[in-house]
Amino acid sequence: MTGLAKLKPVVVALVGRPNSGKTSLLMHLTGSPQRPVNFPGTSVERAESMTRGGGVAMRIVDLPGIVSLQPGSRDEQVTIDYLRGHADVVPDVLCAVLDAGKLAIELRLLQRLRELQRPLVVALTKVDVAAREGRPVDAAQLQRAIGLPLVVVDGFTGAGSNDLRDALLAAVATAPPELRTSLDPVQLAAEVRLPGRTTITATDRLDRALLHPVLGPLVLAFVMLFVFQLVFTAAEPFVAVVEHAQDWLSSILRDALPAGALQSFVVDGLVHGLGSIFVFVPQIALLTGLVALLESSGYMARAVFLLDRMLRKFGLTGRSFVPLTSSFACAIPGILASRILSDERDRIATIVVAPLMSCSARLPVYVVLLAAFFEPFTAGFLLFLLYLIGPIFAAIVAVLLRRTKLRGGQSPLLMEMPVYQRPSLRVMARMVRSSVGQFLTAAGTVILCATVAVWALSYFPRDAALHEDFEARIAAVPESPEQESQRERLRSEERAQLLEQSYLASIGKAIQPAFAPMGFDWRHTVGVLAAFPARELVLPTLAVLHRLGDVEADPDAPDPGLTEALRHATDSRGRPTMNWLVALSMMAFFALCSQCASTLAAIKRETHSWKWPLFTFGYMTALAWIVATAIYQIGSLMGYGL
Amino acid sequence: MPRSLADLKAGQSGIVLRVVGDDTIAQRLLDQGLWPGAEVKRVLHALGGDPILFALHGYRLAVRREEAARVQLEDGVPA
Repeated sequence: MTGLAKLKPVVVALVGRPNSGKTSLLMHLTGSPQRPVNFPGTSVERAESMTRGGGVAMRIVDLPGIVSLQPGSRDEQVTIDYLRGHADVVPDVLCAVLDAGKLAIELRLLQRLRELQRPLVVALTKVDVAAREGRPVDAAQLQRAIGLPLVVVDGFTGAGSNDLRDALLAAVATAPPELRTSLDPVQLAAEVRLPGRTTITATDRLDRALLHPVLGPLVLAFVMLFVFQLVFTAAEPFVAVVEHAQDWLSSILRDALPAGALQSFVVDGLVHGLGSIFVFVPQIALLTGLVALLESSGYMARAVFLLDRMLRKFGLTGRSFVPLTSSFACAIPGILASRILSDERDRIATIVVAPLMSCSARLPVYVVLLAAFFEPFTAGFLLFLLYLIGPIFAAIVAVLLRRTKLRGGQSPLLMEMPVYQRPSLRVMARMVRSSVGQFLTAAGTVILCATVAVWALSYFPRDAALHEDFEARIAAVPESPEQESQRERLRSEERAQLLEQSYLASIGKAIQPAFAPMGFDWRHTVGVLAAFPARELVLPTLAVLHRLGDVEADPDAPDPGLTEALRHATDSRGRPTMNWLVALSMMAFFALCSQCASTLAAIKRETHSWKWPLFTFGYMTALAWIVATAIYQIGSLMGYGL
Repeated sequence: MPRSLADLKAGQSGIVLRVVGDDTIAQRLLDQGLWPGAEVKRVLHALGGDPILFALHGYRLAVRREEAARVQLEDGVPA
């Protein structure tokens, strides 16, 4: 090795079958947080970390699991290209991660890896699981038989990872392994097996209940219910903290900056934009954490097994369950999770229907409208329906797509049911960090840009005369604490009147006829329009617009809040603009409409074309319009209209 | 018509004779351990009999009935 070559880090690729314990091995080898790195030209990411062994820098790359050198999904394609040296970096050493619990099948993959003719080291994991399952393995004899460096590593405690690091460094620049084609995996696995009795294991017993044809689906329903309850209730305090921080920052900046376009840009554009990104982080973190818990414990594979038959009827596959579940928090991690689907048509169908799952950004809209127009009992029932309407239409859209544009091709299930195991908190923490990071970088930038764009449209053109008129009226109010609410009211009215003159309002009024069949007045239309880049923009927009109505009515009343404001909102002729039917139509519209620029950007990235994001936007918006119009028009015929 | 994996009853075992076809699905079945000579036991199945859980080489594999039917078994009395 030359002096120059020594400066470059040694690149180690971790490769193995799914569930072989690669991810926890990476954690133990490096002990540092991973940074996800995108493979050039694809959207699939690899996790990699740096570590040092004997003074040499090592770059350890965790590759998606494979079962052979024939790719079966996009994930596997990435791994195989990388192993064959088609990527930007060629690995110096391959580390084959083998699960001792199922040696025969693991040794078959090892045979394939030998064909790559690269330095190869074996990490033998789950030796304890093999012993518990009644098939203990003689690691020393296995090493002699395969003729490769072999290190036993405990995936839970990390014992053995130092030895593995040394073995990997020692293997650099050694001759590639000889091809031992004569080795029969089954025979070899039998030879290195220590005496042990195969008994009924804990996994067998658990599966008898959890995969029971009747009991299994019931347990799954309870698990899912529990997950969603936890995501929405446990995230609440964190969301409140984010909102509080946003208010605090806004008030500080409002005082620090001179009133005018700059102050409005910073406070209403930037701070509000950042707030509406971070407000999703608690729910995304919680849901990814729970999905990681289900995955690493082995239960997710059972859910896929139980739901496969039903999802196939809709043209999807059992594996679609994972991305679709994630989409209830946010469609973006859901769309990224669809990479696990092996058939391209399954994958695209899943991506296209994922945004129909009611994400956490829709919830605040439901909560405000339900509280304003419905009794608590009815509200609870309607909320359930709003969560159900997405999956129902998703099933219809998926069936239609799979019978037309995405006809044919169904991937086999062929999925390993892993042994149940204690989930590793470090793996969960890593998955949460990675998905939050991905959300903040990919989605965050789009939401921020969109928020700023909506701010600009709602701020300009600024009517200076109107502003001065209000300044004079505010100045005329006597300076005393009792009159503070009067001044506040005038400021609200000014905001509302300025908004009514903005470009956003002009656009809203121009396209109002298209929204009228759903029972929307121009203010609702502006709110909905403002929400197209990102749903969460609707509430602040409606709030600003609706202060207008009741200012004149009763200037001394306390600030009624958005719920009351919506309930009593009237138009310029004093007629009410909203009732429960309009609220219902508006909620249905939000449940189905594609109002999230970052989701569309994620679809574009994952499908490598503009076709699918445009299609998703088109069908969802059309669907939302049709359903909301049907609700309002049928309700009106029954005499419940405005 | 030879017996296939899909014909096994819960708790029954069989020895794989061959996988029908040489497409990617056949290749995947082989890669997952369903090669000739492998001993496979049917463990349980989901509601409606599909997919099916098999035990082989000391691990558990979920296979749809459609794919299981492509794996032919050696003749013999099921264990």
